[in-house]
Amino acid sequence: MIRVENLVKTFGSFRAVDGVCLDVGEGEIHGFLGPNGAGKTTTIRVVAGLLKPDAGRVTIAGHDLAADPGAAKGALGFIPDRPFLYEKLTAAEFLRFHGGLYGLQTAEIEPRAQALLAEFDLVAWRDELVESFSHGMKQRLVMCAAFLHRPRAVLVDEPMVGLDPRGMILIKEIFRRMSREGVAILMSTHTLEVAQEMCDRISIILAGRIVACGTVDELRALAGTEDAPLTPAFLKLTGGAGFRESEP
Amino acid sequence: MRHAFPWLLLPTVWGARNRARRRQRGDGLRAALFGAMGAFTFAAIFAVVLWLTLQLLDYEELGDYLVRLGLGWLFLTFLSFVAFSAVVTSLATFFLSEDLRLLLAAPVPRERLFYSRHLRTVVQSSWMVVAFVLPVLLAIGLARCATAGYYVTAVATVVPFVLIPSALGALATLLLVSVFPARRARDVLMLMGLGFAAALVLLLRFIRPERLLSVQSLPDVTAFFATLQSPVTPFLPSFWAGESLYAALRGGVDWLHLGCLWTSALAATVLARAAYDRHYFSAWSKAQEGRKARFTRLLWLERLLRRLPAAPSSRALLVKDLKVFLRDTSQWSQLLLLLALALVYVYNFRVLDLERIPYMSAVLKNAYAFVNLAMAAFVMSAVAVRFVFPAVSAEGAAFWIVRSAPVSVRRFLWSKFWTGFLPILVLSEALTIASNQMLGITPLLRVLAAGAIAFMTLALVGLACGMGARHPRFHAENLTQVAGSYGGVAFMVLAVAFILVVVGLLAWPASLYLWHQQTGFPLGRGRQALMLLSLLAAAALSVSIFRRSMAGGVRALEQLD
Repeated sequence: MIRVENLVKTFGSFRAVDGVCLDVGEGEIHGFLGPNGAGKTTTIRVVAGLLKPDAGRVTIAGHDLAADPGAAKGALGFIPDRPFLYEKLTAAEFLRFHGGLYGLQTAEIEPRAQALLAEFDLVAWRDELVESFSHGMKQRLVMCAAFLHRPRAVLVDEPMVGLDPRGMILIKEIFRRMSREGVAILMSTHTLEVAQEMCDRISIILAGRIVACGTVDELRALAGTEDAPLTPAFLKLTGGAGFRESEP
Repeated sequence: MRHAFPWLLLPTVWGARNRARRRQRGDGLRAALFGAMGAFTFAAIFAVVLWLTLQLLDYEELGDYLVRLGLGWLFLTFLSFVAFSAVVTSLATFFLSEDLRLLLAAPVPRERLFYSRHLRTVVQSSWMVVAFVLPVLLAIGLARCATAGYYVTAVATVVPFVLIPSALGALATLLLVSVFPARRARDVLMLMGLGFAAALVLLLRFIRPERLLSVQSLPDVTAFFATLQSPVTPFLPSFWAGESLYAALRGGVDWLHLGCLWTSALAATVLARAAYDRHYFSAWSKAQEGRKARFTRLLWLERLLRRLPAAPSSRALLVKDLKVFLRDTSQWSQLLLLLALALVYVYNFRVLDLERIPYMSAVLKNAYAFVNLAMAAFVMSAVAVRFVFPAVSAEGAAFWIVRSAPVSVRRFLWSKFWTGFLPILVLSEALTIASNQMLGITPLLRVLAAGAIAFMTLALVGLACGMGARHPRFHAENLTQVAGSYGGVAFMVLAVAFILVVVGLLAWPASLYLWHQQTGFPLGRGRQALMLLSLLAAAALSVSIFRRSMAGGVRALEQLD
């Protein structure tokens, strides 16, 4: 459902993404892990259509992102790491706007928006300006928007940032349900426990390249850390606990 | 050891230094343009005041009286300006600045925080007044051959003079924030300020100061001066400043009024400090409270736009842009000032008395029609750089929503174009038609001007929209910054060049036609063809600029990383 082939993205002389390949099938929750500056967010942004790749191909639900961006983006729901929204719109207005961008008619948007606001516990805030929302509420509103047009694939960058424990449980439940309904989810995260608990498969990116891909057990076996939590395997596969920060 | 309060100003100083070191593209052009504009304004103020003061030298006592009165009025105006500006500035420096959370969380003594913030307030709220008063006082001093003592007194007067309204403004803000939430207080203030500015513009224009230049209205002059004298009271710092400078001009020192200025400045600062010491933290806490600001839902707008025969995505963009604009006080409130300026613009044509020059009135009127066209187009450029140029940048950090949606950047940019084009077209046509009606020009020129301004609006809005997309500033703190950026300045330069070329292309055939009509000489076919060509060239230039700008904007957005 989400296919990334030999993706390359450079910033000046810095190669942020260097030949990344990913394949997320229908109903799969695919974790995308890597240390800071490894190229996760750049990859996610290219797949979301926010950055133009220097080479490679991205297809969403069979639509080539470069050749048919409208159809590809229409099949995708995107949840960024930082929920920047239009502060002067209310939650309901933002969802109407978002639905309009995805070609939904107003009559179609209203009941769907109401259901999503209820699901994400935002009904009481539907007619309040976004500027009065907390970070977690904005994050939940972004998720409502991402699911509004019933996407076939979802791209999530750090889904748990800013959410309270109740919000986290809610998101996990929703992702699992969407996965059962056949939605492909590509999820970048630093929270290894979440990745271990939720993901069918995990890809680990380091210095712009995928260094490992497989189920949690396969990754642990690859790292030689069987029966341990995912953290030691992650550290081993990404070259230890050293600190990296190089992404622009 | 803890550092003194100037330490807290270091981030501002370092920030400015870093900006100066890391030059961006277009900084040189911007600095040259703004520098030239500043130097020109300085020179113009200096020349006018020097000329006026030299003229007044011929009238001995009346001249002296007028200089004294003039100084009193000048400082009275500045007093109100600095006080109001200080209220607005201290709202930002004491309550809304992002760095306050860091500073308040740090072990910074409250009085140091107060002094550092107050110094910023004083500088930010009074630099413009000081920049204006400098050439004025310099010109008066030179015209009156003042001694060095006058210039020393000028510095000793201006410093306490700006400190007093700044401290009082800071006190007013403290009171205001204690009553309203900080952001709501800013909206209230902004509206009050713009209402005040609009009223001032209208008032100054409608009292028609040009009447004083007319010989027939001389008997009114004494009444005029009596009115001028009334607000200059000896209890205000403006009076003390005027008197101190007047005494220095005559070679003396007015210790009483200088003393009044300095003691009041110190007292106001101490009072403000005491008040902030006592009430600042509670006012700050109040300012941090979550706000559930009231706002208009504008459901009628949504219902109305839903009927538009457009794609859902275009409608969604339009509804969003209009709602965001109408809910942001800092955006729509500028329309008040624009409305006042438009009224003054049209009113100027109403009071323009060209009939006083009987033989020339017809020629002058028609020549004025082109001046009017150029002026209306300049107004449009100013409106476009303020409202259309920042339209793409206005998406800010939320631009990811549109970019990740299945909406082409072409559709996005065209939506921005239409949102700006239609209201600006209505405004430009209204201004041109109304002012030409009042001028009483020939019907041919009226039609030509109405058509021309439509084409020029198309080109100017297209240029603003396209250049705004090519030079976006998504991280700008406010949209005024975007308008003043390299792209905004470049847009204004191109717009002025475009207007001059188009007015030239229109003025030549139109004036030729009118001349032939007046003199009765027949117009040759070759010349007619050239005239038509000139008109067509103006239209073609407008359409071409519009198309190229929009295409360039779309390309730039497509390549955006």
